This record gives sequence, C-alpha cells and structure tokens, in this order.
Amino acid sequence: MKHRVLVTGLGIVSCMGLNLKAFWDEIKKGRSGIKPFDLPIEGTKMSVAATVKGFNPEKYFSAKELSFLERCSQFAIVAAREAISDAGLVIGERPLMNAASIVGCAGAGQETFDEASYRLYKEHRSRVHPLSVPKGMACSVISQVSIHLRIKGPAFLISTACASGAHALIQGVSMIQSGMVDVALVGGTETPFNYVQLKSWDALRIVSNDTCRPFSKDRSGMVLGEGAGMLVLESEEHAKKRNANIYAEISGYGMTSDAGHMTRPDVSSVANAMKNTLRNAGINADEVDYINAHGTGTLVNDIAETKAIHKAFGDHAKKLTISSTKSMHGHALGATSALELVATTLALKNSVIPPTANFTVADEQCDLDYVPNDARKQNINTALSNSFAFGGLNAVVALNKHA
Amino acid sequence: MPLEKITKIITKVSGCDPETIKPDAELEALGIDSLKAMIVLFEIEEAFDIEIPNEIIPSIVTVNDILKRL
Repeated sequence: MKHRVLVTGLGIVSCMGLNLKAFWDEIKKGRSGIKPFDLPIEGTKMSVAATVKGFNPEKYFSAKELSFLERCSQFAIVAAREAISDAGLVIGERPLMNAASIVGCAGAGQETFDEASYRLYKEHRSRVHPLSVPKGMACSVISQVSIHLRIKGPAFLISTACASGAHALIQGVSMIQSGMVDVALVGGTETPFNYVQLKSWDALRIVSNDTCRPFSKDRSGMVLGEGAGMLVLESEEHAKKRNANIYAEISGYGMTSDAGHMTRPDVSSVANAMKNTLRNAGINADEVDYINAHGTGTLVNDIAETKAIHKAFGDHAKKLTISSTKSMHGHALGATSALELVATTLALKNSVIPPTANFTVADEQCDLDYVPNDARKQNINTALSNSFAFGGLNAVVALNKHA
Repeated sequence: MPLEKITKIITKVSGCDPETIKPDAELEALGIDSLKAMIVLFEIEEAFDIEIPNEIIPSIVTVNDILKRL
C-alpha cells in the first residue's frame, strides 16, 4: 500500500526574514530581498546579492556547538527547529525514531576548506584546524541536523546543485510512501558567500549586476542568495492520529537527467520531468493551476523553461499562473528549491499566487502568465514546483490541497 | 609560563574550571575526549611553535605529559 504524504511543518531562514511569517509577508507584498552587495569580500564583480541579514549565531548555538557548524549547518538547524516546532513535534522530548532527515546542499564544506586553503596557500602555515574534517565534510550538515533535532532514522545529504532541496524532498516522500518511515524532515541549505565561490560564479558570467528579473525581456542573469528551507512530511495516518495541522499533500514527483550539456537546459528533458510528475500524481495537465518556476532570470533558462511548459501542458500552458520567487529570495543554489517548495506550500494553503517581482517588460519568447509584480488572490488546487539544476538534473514536485 | 598557556588552552577547549588543571591531572578527567585532544594539541603546536609527532600521542595522558614535550 502506498501511503499518502502530507506537509505538516515549515521552517525558513532567508534574505526576507528569519522565520516563516516574515518570508511569507514579503512574498505576498512582492518585495525582493535582493540588495546591493555589502559583504566585506573584496575583488568580486558582484554588486547585488540576496544575503541573510541579522542572523546572530550566538542567539541559537553555544560556542562549543558552533565549533562544528558551518553557516550552512547553522541555517539548516534553525530552519529545521522552526519546521519541527511548526509541525507540533517537540524537539528533545524523545528522539524521533521512525523519521528520516534528508537535506540538500550544493556547497557543503566549502567554507571550511576555503579557510583551510587560505591558511596553507596564502599564509603558508603548516597546519589546519583539527575540526576541518568533521566540520567541513559535506555530510556534516545532515549529521548536525539529526544531532540537534534528535532524528534517529535514515539521514543523508543530497547534492544536486539547484535541485538539491527538491531531490531531498522526493527522497523523503518515497520513504514515507513505501512505509519505511512515518515522518521525514527534508529541505535544503546554502551559504555561497565566500571568496572562492564568488570568484567562481563571476567567472561563469551569468550573475546579474542589476537584479533578478525572471521572464522579463531585460533580464540579465541570476542573483546569488543564501538561506535554508525545511519541510516536515508525514504519512496521512501519522498526521491524522496526532491531529496535525496540514498544509498540503505531496501528490507526485518526476525526475529526469538531460545527460547532455552541463549548463544549457534540454527542453525535452525538462518537459519530461513535468510530464512524469503529472503521471506520477495521477493528474491531468489541465488540473494544474500554478507553477513555481525554476525561473533563474538568465536569458537561456527562462526561454527553455517556457518552451518546456508549452511542451508539457499544450493548450493549458496559457491558462497557468507561473511565477519565479527567485526574484525575491534570490538563487540560493542547494537551498533554492526548498525555499520555493515552502513558498508553493504557503501559496496553496493561503490561496495566494506569489508574484514574479522586478518584472518590467514582456519578452515575446516568454509568452505565459508570470504574475508580474503583484501577488494574486486565487484558489490553487494543484501546483508544481520546478527545479532544473546545472548538470542537467531535473526535479519537479506536485502539491495538492489536502481533501 | 608553559603551564599557564596550557591551562588557558585546555580551559578554552573543554570549558573546565582552570583550578582543576594541575600537572598530574588526567586530560580525560578534564573533559578532553579524543577529538578535543586533537584540538588541544593543535593549539599547543600553534602556541609553542612545535610539532608533536603522532607516535607519542598514546603516551599523553596527563597535563604533565604535555609539559614534558615542550
């Protein structure tokens, strides 16, 4: 028997606020968290960024705990605490035995090894800190999440660039569907603002110096962001038994790999990820109301995604509402799909379509309804969340109002 | 004074009461587990500009065992 999977808790650390309420309030207003680049990192071309402001690690962790926590682990734990508490599950009362924790992150460990490299190559020192491995190994994030949240079932990290959070969620969904676990904490976290990563993104020449304007004719690229988004998933039986608050149902998912170019999306493969999702969820194309797009704001992505939506939805494409919340929370890489899944869940629950902020001029090659600039009050029964990562790794999730 | 420097390092790593750090005190009793011991050795190497070889680590049990290596 396949168990139904519900979303019962959400948590956020973002450039638009350090909790769920702040995040959603800004999305409803269509206010972007992208601001002039103000970090004390010199030598990067970046002039705008979606950085998290006012996050004081000492407020959340002891000095001893911090010695093991990269910024991305800190974000993951803070968002996970909010999600678990939002779900009405008590942290620390007793460990969650029959629960999984699966988190996505593209660059876990880079902060630690960037610092270690600096000591060795730049300062010519002979040794690095002994916690460099336990703190900097990529799976440190998920180990720390499971330690702090006391989740004792299956735990692992997924690293599929900009689809990491969606792939993590899908893994949690399939574990619950199969009956392996009752509960799964899933999501993504990312903190790319260190010198090496910024220079690497500079070199790729796809980061905008204006702002993120998905699907708008004058778009000029993506804007890097940071943050964490977490979701608590539960089997319907488990959620109902404890009378949990239900946000939405995860009704299906689809995944494909372009198996082609590393950075240029393959329209057919992206469309297939959406078609697979509809098939997996058992829904028709015309039942979908809203798509939270991958919508990076690069010239190539937004055209390819538009074409893929046409291919997957046919005549219904024009009736869809589509928006890219990256216009507000930036492109937080491994965290971005988790932020978008949280936004999509809230959109469904509150019957509000998030806008595509910073939209100025329509592009004839992007000819769909992107809900420019202002949120729209509209009932949503079914929504998709699209994630198409570098490397051609595609993950799409279908969410439904729970009935 | 080496003992003073070591006391500071051990206190920082383990959070123990500096009064309890005597030459014959065992590191484990001061809250220094195997992972924290690596941090203490790292801090000592940095502070005294020395290299503590891996081979002698099993013989370091007390604070005095560290002092002897300086």
